[in-house]
Amino acid sequence: MAAANMKAVKLRIKSVQNTMQITKAMQLVAASKLRKAKDKAMQSKPYLRTMKGTLAKIANENTDFQSPFTKPGTNPKRLFVVIAGDRGLAGGYNANLFKFMEKEVEGYEYAVLPIGKKAVEYFRHRNAEIFTDAYAEVAKVTISECFRIAKSVCEAYEAGQFGHVSMCYTNFVSMMSQVPKSSALLPLSDFENPELDDTPATKDLILYEPSGEEVFNTIVPEYLAGILYTSINVSVASELAARRTAMEAATDNAGEMIEKLSLYYNRARQASITQEITEIVAGAEGA
Amino acid sequence: MANTFHLKIVTVDGLAFEGDVQRLMFRSTHGDLAILARHINYCTAVGMGTAHVVLEDGSERTAACIGGMCSMMDNECHLLPTTWEWSEDIDVERAEAAKVRAEAKLREEKLSKETRLLTESKLNRALVRIGSARH
Repeated sequence: MAAANMKAVKLRIKSVQNTMQITKAMQLVAASKLRKAKDKAMQSKPYLRTMKGTLAKIANENTDFQSPFTKPGTNPKRLFVVIAGDRGLAGGYNANLFKFMEKEVEGYEYAVLPIGKKAVEYFRHRNAEIFTDAYAEVAKVTISECFRIAKSVCEAYEAGQFGHVSMCYTNFVSMMSQVPKSSALLPLSDFENPELDDTPATKDLILYEPSGEEVFNTIVPEYLAGILYTSINVSVASELAARRTAMEAATDNAGEMIEKLSLYYNRARQASITQEITEIVAGAEGA
Repeated sequence: MANTFHLKIVTVDGLAFEGDVQRLMFRSTHGDLAILARHINYCTAVGMGTAHVVLEDGSERTAACIGGMCSMMDNECHLLPTTWEWSEDIDVERAEAAKVRAEAKLREEKLSKETRLLTESKLNRALVRIGSARH
């Protein structure tokens, strides 16, 4: 075993160590950001639940008015809002979401509203029809921007550009598990509401002021913005959790690799020492 | 008690209030209104204004309540405002600064329709906050 080989192994160990430092740093950054993001995501969950529950109840029980938002549109085209990450190195976070989304859209004519750099890149590459790519950075989307998105989506829906609007995002199940999920946004009759399925269809009368239509037309954009905002929060938390897990695995792998390489290096070192001794002894004997 | 109802106030920032109350007053898109127990099933869009909640023991809390919706179903009231700030939590200085900023901007001529609307609603929000904090 030559000294040149030993040098190569030593260099390799160095480079793996450097990589490990980076993955370790990324893991720590993701972990500390994750705590905040998780709190934010958890905080907005009750809003989502109550809002969805209330609207579904109203949409189901409503008999007395027609709002464009409650009945399915005639246009077969669908709009998908896809919330992905800004950066890679998060394990399968982005890839899983896109795979899931491809399955969802199968057989439909569709357009997408990508949120997050990776989503924009992906759909540009696939030549999918893009509704708007103004929201490229998911980390920078604020609540007021959610309102703007919601408004433009509602306008497009009312104008009949799309018959259905859905959203794909990554649900934060736990620190270890994040699952891509889709959720219907418009029309409201698309809601799956397991809680309401068993109850007999009693139609309560609800008083709307000033009028059902007006109430709905004001509420729906608000509701969409709320859902978008909470889903973005949940997705960001999922991304960070995925990155943390991926980087943890990478750090572990790097550690293992270093261990193997140092074992190999030590063996090589010992072998060369043994060889030297043998040479010296052989030389002394020969003299 | 028969003359109270269950109220839940939820915003995107979390649960702001949950409990039994005697009365809820707020400004809807078409004017001020109050909800009492056993109100008919009701649904309305929330405007911008000061909201009052009269608790079970008769004490009153005020807040700045902007946007969203309110529904009353079977004596269960859900208020889902876009923003909800209890009057004791309002940063009056910040609201005053926002008011001054918005007013200065509105004095400029040649504002696009969109920025004008945006600034006007900023001014409105600041005024609601200041008004609610003074209660």
